[in-house]
Amino acid sequence: MTFAERMLRIDRRIIFLLIGACTLIPLLFPMGLAIKTSPEVTSVYDYIEHMPEGSVFLLSLDFDPASKPELYPQAVALLHHAFTRNLRVIGMTLWLPGTGMANEVITHVAQERGKVNGKDYVFLGWSPGGGSVIINMGQSISTAFPTDYYNQPTASLPVLEGVQSLRDVQYVVSLAAGTTGIETWYVFGKDKYKFELGGGCTGVIAPGLYPLLRSGQINGLIGGLRGAAEYEVLIGRKGRAVAGMDAQSVTHLAIIVLVILCNVFYLTIRRSTRGGGQASPAGN
Amino acid sequence: MNFFRRRLPLLITFVTGVLFALQYYVPHPVSESMLTSVTKWLQIIGGFALVLGVTSLFHLHAVKIRRKEPGWGYSFVLYAGMIGTIAVGLWHNGKETVDNVTTAFGWIYNFMMVPLQGTMFAILAFFIASAAYRSFRARSPEAAVLLIAAIIVMMGRVPLGEHLIPLSGDLTQWILNVLNASVRRAILIGVSLGAIALSLKIIFGVERAYLGGGKE
Amino acid sequence: MSFELILGAWVAAGLTLFILTFLYQDNPLFKLAEHLYVGVSVGYAIVKTYDTVLVRLIYEPMLKPGITQGEWAKGDWSLLIPLTIGALMLARYAPKTAWMSRIAFAFVVGVGSGLAIPRVVSSYILKQIEDTVRPLLMLGADGGVSFTASLADPASNLNSIVLLIGVVSVLFYFFFSVEHTGPGRVVARTGIVFLMISFGAGFGYTVMARMSLLIGRLTDLIEFSQPQYGGATWWLLALTIATLIAFRLRRGETEPPR
Repeated sequence: MTFAERMLRIDRRIIFLLIGACTLIPLLFPMGLAIKTSPEVTSVYDYIEHMPEGSVFLLSLDFDPASKPELYPQAVALLHHAFTRNLRVIGMTLWLPGTGMANEVITHVAQERGKVNGKDYVFLGWSPGGGSVIINMGQSISTAFPTDYYNQPTASLPVLEGVQSLRDVQYVVSLAAGTTGIETWYVFGKDKYKFELGGGCTGVIAPGLYPLLRSGQINGLIGGLRGAAEYEVLIGRKGRAVAGMDAQSVTHLAIIVLVILCNVFYLTIRRSTRGGGQASPAGN
Repeated sequence: MNFFRRRLPLLITFVTGVLFALQYYVPHPVSESMLTSVTKWLQIIGGFALVLGVTSLFHLHAVKIRRKEPGWGYSFVLYAGMIGTIAVGLWHNGKETVDNVTTAFGWIYNFMMVPLQGTMFAILAFFIASAAYRSFRARSPEAAVLLIAAIIVMMGRVPLGEHLIPLSGDLTQWILNVLNASVRRAILIGVSLGAIALSLKIIFGVERAYLGGGKE
Repeated sequence: MSFELILGAWVAAGLTLFILTFLYQDNPLFKLAEHLYVGVSVGYAIVKTYDTVLVRLIYEPMLKPGITQGEWAKGDWSLLIPLTIGALMLARYAPKTAWMSRIAFAFVVGVGSGLAIPRVVSSYILKQIEDTVRPLLMLGADGGVSFTASLADPASNLNSIVLLIGVVSVLFYFFFSVEHTGPGRVVARTGIVFLMISFGAGFGYTVMARMSLLIGRLTDLIEFSQPQYGGATWWLLALTIATLIAFRLRRGETEPPR
């Protein structure tokens, strides 16, 4: 067996160890490289930055614990920004497994900012139905959520004064890990009820949302951990996302090197196979 | 009886489908009120649908325990986890925090469910690296194009990549905003046309697989 | 630091390490954590569904006014309709009444399809086509035309042309009713090139997403290795490795020699 063939057949646990090391070492010894901001993230930031005080901002945390590393930092950054701008914040989720996390992030950031539940923000919780919840909220928020997460009647909360339906919400941002998410908010929400919509999402679904971004159906897109890091830089509050970017850099380079090596070995084997007329390359 | 088993469901699908498709174009208060009520009902019915998924899981593992099939001990762990979580959750009325103090239910969520689900998906990082090394080969010109685009995006989305090759950032932005957007748009249009065709087939009773359950 | 927090850190670190042992090989620790994950997730879903649907969406609007204040008339009794439909769904478990669940599914699917059709047409088809067929030249205030060729600006005329070519060629590639020969073959091949670039971009982004998830878990493990948590990660790592070695030795003893 040639060196190239042996390398292509290497035990995958060695690759696992390499990836583990490439992730762990930068976390323990950060490099602190500068992060450039992109127009799609800046659009979300600028919109919130220019919202008048007292405007209504709805943050829908449509993700589960599996996507926490990517979307939780986005939620933290957006909430800090919204509370700094003294916006009225409505929190909710369309994903059942994410309810606890959504409650935790809103409560935690609100506490840090000295905001009061019911007066400055409200957490509506989760409701089944996906698109039907959005339509119902578009008709009447108090019908979709008669009480908030803590069983306070929504119709009597000061934070929801003058907010009868989604038409009274100035900006909605959906942090989504898949369907039900940003597309659902557009199709069943913005299309009819005409609020402005922004999105935050995992890296897996981000490429699929660019058509909506280009057509203006969403005004901005915060994609993955990199998007969260950019937002942290914009609000001047570096957190977990910025801390994770060094590890992200090293692992990406590791994967690129692995892919290049794989192709070098593959081409070496293919060349020697064509030259010697022997069996096909390893792994085919 | 044939009417109730076969014709009535198809009639209901047809009437509700046409009604709510037309509702979009009718802003009359009665139409809007109907929309509000029915979407509210769907929220409640959605909750019952969740029960269906859960009961099948109950049944599967109950059979395993009863027959003492290989690995039945793990099914017991599953039941213990489920029943323990339900008991604690109902004790705290389904709330993870009360007056900003984490309940036992919240403890289970934060220190069991979140790490378990998070790690389950985190191990995919290792598998994607291993798969990329073993299988991501430029066997053809198209595969080479895919490879090069992937490398550019991987470089351009991290600070170190942009630092080493500044052009990778701008190129990534162009690939995502123009080339990728055009492809995803075409796929979105195609898939949407297919979804509409399927919805129309369901409404007109051509597609009946969704009905399931019971003999005709 | 509270006892619950420290205990939680130990449990979280332990369960994380148990799942990570799958990278070495499938083993009882992983299976234990995997089944616990399913059990806890389902238990959580049941509790949340009970709280949200039964308590907040049914009990409070419909029954609470009567039970707590004797004002039964104030309850929203129209909710009996979705309650009935939901109950019909559960009828599928009894063979004799399973046919009744079709009525419930017919209602849900019918309403869902009806709601979706016009909204999908408006959002995904009309709006997307509208943005694709943009002007290829800019009309100035003085009546003159200009052509913007900046690749950096996604809204430039040059990029609009590229976008149009991409959308049309990819749509054509997936249109199999016409044979892809002659000029059609050129269009289809162009579509394939666009597709490959998009899938490559998708792969790059997916790598980023997966690595982010790993970064998140390892960040937590690093935090739980701190002295205030009793060095949970270190102790549990040692315990996990020792357990794996023990399993390996035991399997070596029970397997017959080759």
